[in-house]
Amino acid sequence: MKKQINSCPNQTEKLKLVSMLANKAIMAIKNGTIKKRNLVWLELTGCSGNIISLLDAANPGFKNLATQMVNIIFDNSLMVAEGQAAMEKLFAITADDYILVVEGAIASKDNGLYNIIGQFNGQPITAYRAINELGPKASYVIAMGACASDGGISAGRPNPSGSLSVQSILNRKVIKLPGCPCHPDWLTGTLSYILLYGQPELDNKDRPTMFYSTLIHDVCPRRPYFDQGIFAEKLGDKSCMFKIGCRGPVTPVDCPVRKWNQHVNWPIGDDSPCIGCAQFGFPDRMEPFISYNTTREV
Amino acid sequence: MSEQHFYDKDFNKTINDINDTIDNLYLTEDCYEKNKLLNNLRKQIANITMMMQNNQNYSKNNIEPVTQNDPRVFTPEELSTYTGKNGNPAYVAVNGVVYDMTNVAAWGGATHFGLTPGKDLSGVFASCHDGQPILSTLPVVGVMAP
Amino acid sequence: MSERLVINPVTRISGFLEIDATVEDNIVTDTHTKGLLFRGFEKMLTGRSPFDAVYFTQRICGICSSAHAMASTMALEDAMDIEVSDQGKYLRDIIHGCEYLQNHIRHFYQYTLPDYVAMPQNNTLFIAKQTDLRLPKIKNDLLVQHYFDSLDISRSAHEMLAVLGGKAPHNHGVFIGGITTQATKEKISRLFSLLHNITEFIDSKMVPDTQTVAQYYQDYFEMGKGYGNFLSYGCFNNYSQLGTLYLNPFIYHDGIKQVLDPERITENIATSWYTDQTETYAPNETIAEPDIAKSQAYSWVKAPRYNGLPYESGPLARMWLSGEYRHGISAMDRTIARVLEAKKIAAIIKVLLSNLIPGTDVQQVYSVPSTAFGKGLIDTTRGALGHWLKIENQLISFYQIIAPTTWNLSTRTEDNLPGPGEKALIGTQITDPSNPVELGRIIRSFDPCISCATHIYQSGNLINSIQIVS
Ligand code: HEM
Ligand code: SF4
Repeated sequence: MKKQINSCPNQTEKLKLVSMLANKAIMAIKNGTIKKRNLVWLELTGCSGNIISLLDAANPGFKNLATQMVNIIFDNSLMVAEGQAAMEKLFAITADDYILVVEGAIASKDNGLYNIIGQFNGQPITAYRAINELGPKASYVIAMGACASDGGISAGRPNPSGSLSVQSILNRKVIKLPGCPCHPDWLTGTLSYILLYGQPELDNKDRPTMFYSTLIHDVCPRRPYFDQGIFAEKLGDKSCMFKIGCRGPVTPVDCPVRKWNQHVNWPIGDDSPCIGCAQFGFPDRMEPFISYNTTREV
Repeated sequence: MSEQHFYDKDFNKTINDINDTIDNLYLTEDCYEKNKLLNNLRKQIANITMMMQNNQNYSKNNIEPVTQNDPRVFTPEELSTYTGKNGNPAYVAVNGVVYDMTNVAAWGGATHFGLTPGKDLSGVFASCHDGQPILSTLPVVGVMAP
Repeated sequence: MSERLVINPVTRISGFLEIDATVEDNIVTDTHTKGLLFRGFEKMLTGRSPFDAVYFTQRICGICSSAHAMASTMALEDAMDIEVSDQGKYLRDIIHGCEYLQNHIRHFYQYTLPDYVAMPQNNTLFIAKQTDLRLPKIKNDLLVQHYFDSLDISRSAHEMLAVLGGKAPHNHGVFIGGITTQATKEKISRLFSLLHNITEFIDSKMVPDTQTVAQYYQDYFEMGKGYGNFLSYGCFNNYSQLGTLYLNPFIYHDGIKQVLDPERITENIATSWYTDQTETYAPNETIAEPDIAKSQAYSWVKAPRYNGLPYESGPLARMWLSGEYRHGISAMDRTIARVLEAKKIAAIIKVLLSNLIPGTDVQQVYSVPSTAFGKGLIDTTRGALGHWLKIENQLISFYQIIAPTTWNLSTRTEDNLPGPGEKALIGTQITDPSNPVELGRIIRSFDPCISCATHIYQSGNLINSIQIVS
């Protein structure tokens, strides 16, 4: 089954697509047909796991991205400047053209004071303020990961920090790349497309259709088990994870084809159910993640 | 007899759909479009498989005929035991009809977007799936007491 | 003649941190470290299914998610009375080990190196007024080269993790009983070959690079000492076949090493923005309520104590307690210990890999008890991590997390003793108060992770800036 999927030309095309787009963008920048653009990366109310996921990128890797595709102006995890100097860099860019990538939600309780990202001229800058100042002026806003796209874990019941998604604050187009974390390819692919052609085709929830169009369940290698009614009883089984609580049937994303970390594995391949981290409503509406007492046969 | 007829109609419709999809596949150049169509094809084949299984069940059931004209009537208390857990099937009522969600893919682990079975979910269904042709695909097990 | 220096954000850490230091005659006389992010996981976890804690708590931290998977799994096993097989332990400790490697490599190259190395100023990410750079050009260029080379290596540490864990960050592998899947022969040989490359990189580049930095920044062996109190919950230990490969739970105080007694751990909220019946409590007693208006409080980091004293945890603590590194206690020693630990962990993973029996399935059908209590204490990349949970009506009714950074960047109790991070900064000589590089270098040697210290609120007071306020 696995072989069949990998050898399907459409599937392999899909895998190659990201590196193809990135190489094209890099070439075009070298030739001067398009320009390198500025990129501001805001880590807000979240776990900073999306920047880590980006460091896991390959073809293009983080090095290609940071040296050949965009000028990263600000990123809390990686930039060399600190304190006031870092914040000056951040606010100076608002006069220029930039693409804004946001990871994490925006804490809104108590005037947003639950998440301060730095101090600028003596003023604490809340995540709330940062997004309001940088969001409207950006040429593109990309919400990366579950928290930025939809509140995610940060907004988990009872949402102690009053976390909100980027879209609920900005009255403009926000490209959403849900996932916990977001797969690096989903970001690098989207970014390459933007550099080359502008906004990619989006679905009705503003997710790029090149990654978010097919339900996991529709291309899952364990689909034959589902169709035959052969369900895993516990983790570690090789059959369909439906009864344990698999969210593949409601999550439209390309994990079964793309897989993770240089395409080595993915949650269902690891004999565990999909927990719907790339679907809106994660985590509260995707729980319970794992249950053993689901009725199997009636 | 009428049910058999119903299956035949559905079956023919799906076969037509498949032929349409294949025609479209010949025409399209775009690889994403192609992907979508192929997925459609999968879905349609799965539908046929399901229909064939249902048909078999139907023939089996024929030995012990289903009480078609006399659907099972559920009170809210009765319905509440069908939670989809610990051996109980997962039943959900929408607009007076009780559906069996036990093996509906979107209800993995007998939950769906934080919803649990054993309840009347007409309100949420209307707010989430208004206008989507979902109910007609679900197995019916009875009706709610008026 | 006292000046106030505020650095916010302290970049190149995970999460948001402020250093607020008082400086007299170029010497730091007092300091406060403040975490600037609150998400409130303990509250979120209440009422959820206990099984979900494993995947849920990983989302506390993007850079060390497996650590939380380990602690929550162990807490659940404790609550459910589940004995883990050796194979189960090996498998998940391999995942945990890969997390160590990923963290240590990224911390050294991406977070620490730019403190000491002139980064190429033709890249906007690196533009900064760097001062006190001492490496000769040829060595500097080599380390910059390795900054980029290391990206492939830390990435392959995560690739290893995903081979057994499904994906990284936020893996699906670590679970009650060990891991979800089985290690096939193919997986094991893939892991061996990835590990081989990583080990080679550590030996041939990372260790020499650390020596280069240490050679030119000898004075940092005298800076950022702190208390010299060490604490570890132990890790890579208690295998019935292999015994202990790294470290059992110990503390080190006043030159004496002793076995750790978890009952002596308390947490205090005297200077944190919380209120409760009592300011000091045992981890399983209570979850303090946030109180943004509390006077005396200056941060939302709580103050964990052992026997009433602040303790440092992390690679230096572990290497010291295990006796593998006793050169000294300082900012530079912390960095060296971290790098040497990476080498050690790679060797441990190799042993664990060689002891795997391919195809072992360690999973069962589990059921949740109606009431239970469990704790999971484990040393992870940044230090001692503890999860304490209670189950009632088969749901989580209580969840307490004390993260390594809560120990290291702890606040003060009634006795006003500074936390380990604060203590390490006090007494530091600042060469150029307009660019106090020393503070960032010392605090980064603790590898702080504010994302983990999620029970942290920001102090909302508008204290003055980044620049100097006299
Ligand atoms: C909270 C309200 C609900 C939300 C947000 C919701 C959302 C969704 C979503 C996103 C899908 C995936 C569709 C796709 O991408 O193909 C879906 C499918 C489905 N939902 Fe719901 N749903 C809700 C309530 C319900 C209720 C009350 C029912 C009970 C009858 C239901 C039955 C289904 C079924 C049967 C499917 C599968 C449809 C198909 O196969 O095309 N949903 N739902
Ligand atoms: S494992 Fe999940 S996605 Fe795959 S077939 Fe089963 S239910 Fe569908």
